[in-house]
Amino acid sequence: MKTKITELLQIEYPVFQGGMAWVAEHKLAAAVSNAGGLGIIGAASAPPEVVREEIRKCKELTDKPFGVNIMLLNPNAEDVAKIVVEEGVKAVTTGAGNPGKFMELWKNAGVKVIPVVASVAMAKMMERAGADAVVAEGMESGGHIGSTTTMALVPQVVDAVSIPVIAAGGIADGRGMAAAFMLGAEGIQMGTRFVASKESIVHENYKNQIIKAKDIDSVVTGMSTGHPVRSLRNQMTREYLKLEKENADFMELEKLTLGSLRKAVQDGDTVNGTLMAGQIAGLIRREQTCREIIEETVQQAQECIAAQGQHKKI
Amino acid sequence: MLEKVAAIIREQLNQENVEITEATRFKEDLEVDSLDLFELVMAFEEEYGVSIPSEELENMATVGDVIRYIQEHA
Repeated sequence: MKTKITELLQIEYPVFQGGMAWVAEHKLAAAVSNAGGLGIIGAASAPPEVVREEIRKCKELTDKPFGVNIMLLNPNAEDVAKIVVEEGVKAVTTGAGNPGKFMELWKNAGVKVIPVVASVAMAKMMERAGADAVVAEGMESGGHIGSTTTMALVPQVVDAVSIPVIAAGGIADGRGMAAAFMLGAEGIQMGTRFVASKESIVHENYKNQIIKAKDIDSVVTGMSTGHPVRSLRNQMTREYLKLEKENADFMELEKLTLGSLRKAVQDGDTVNGTLMAGQIAGLIRREQTCREIIEETVQQAQECIAAQGQHKKI
Repeated sequence: MLEKVAAIIREQLNQENVEITEATRFKEDLEVDSLDLFELVMAFEEEYGVSIPSEELENMATVGDVIRYIQEHA
C-alpha cells in the first residue's frame, strides 16, 4: 500500500500503533514495525534512561522504522527529546502539550515529527511549527481524549492543513481504515486493537475485558477536571463518576486513579484499574498477532474501497 | 487594545457577556482549556498579524500577557 505516510516514513502500511502509556513497550512496537506498520514506544512518564533502554531493545528486535510517543507536559520530556535524537529514532509522535521548542532539534536530526491533535487550530499550529504530519484523534479513542469525533475532526483537519493526516479514534478494522481514507486521511492509528494483540504485554484480564466489551462499555471520567479519559466501565469508573456528580474535590478523584493504569496493565486488576480502551473495543473479538491485525485490516480496507463502486448506486 | 482583544475572546468562546480585564486569567476565570487556547492564538494572529510561537503559549496566563506580547511583536 502506498500513501504519503508510507512514503514519509518508508514503511509498508500506513498503520500506526498508538503510543499508549505502560502498554506500548518495545516488544509491541517491534512487532508492529516488523509487520510493516509503525510501532511506537510510549515514553509516558518513564524515566529517560528507561526510555533509552526500550529504544535499544526495540532496535534489537527490528530493523524497521519505529517511533516514540512523548508526553510533553511530562517533566522528563526534554531529556527524552534528546534521547530519541541520540538513538536515531525515525519518528516522534507528541501528546499533551507543545512540541515547538523541540522542533529544531528533531528536524535537524531528521526525526519525523507527528503531533497528535484534537482540533483544527492545533493542527494548523503544528503544521506551522514544522510538523511532518499530524494524527487527528477523535474522542472515540481510549485514554486521554478531546471532544470532537473522528468522523467530524478528520475532514476538517484535512481541509485545514497541507501535511498528511493520520486518523485515530474508533478505528479497529479495514472498514474503519477505508472510511478514514474517504475522509481524506493518509493513514490510521489504532490503539485498542493492539492492546489486545498477542505481543501486547498487558495482563490477560485486561485483554479479556476488551474482547468481552460491548459497544456501550466505555465511559469518560475526568470531564470535570478538564482531563477526560476513556476507559472500560468497572467499579472504579462507577465510583469516580459518582464522585464527579457530587462535585468531589480533585484530590479525592485523584486517589481513585493514582497508579490505576498500572494496576490494569500489570496486575490485571479489572475492579480498581483503569482499563483504557476506545469505543471500538466492542468490535474486537479475539487476540491476534500484530501481523494478522495489520494484514487483515489493510486487506479489508482495500476490499472495501474496491467494492464501493459495485455495491452502492449513489 | 483591551476592548478588541476582549471582543475576540468573547467571540471565540461564545461568551458574549463575560467580563474581561487585563487581569482575567484564561484557565481559572474563563475556563479555557488547551484546545480553546490554540483557537484564541490563531484568532489573535489573524487579527494582529503577529506570529505567536506555540512555546510562548505556556507563558500566557492572563489577557494582559497576551496584550503585552502582541504590543511587543506586532
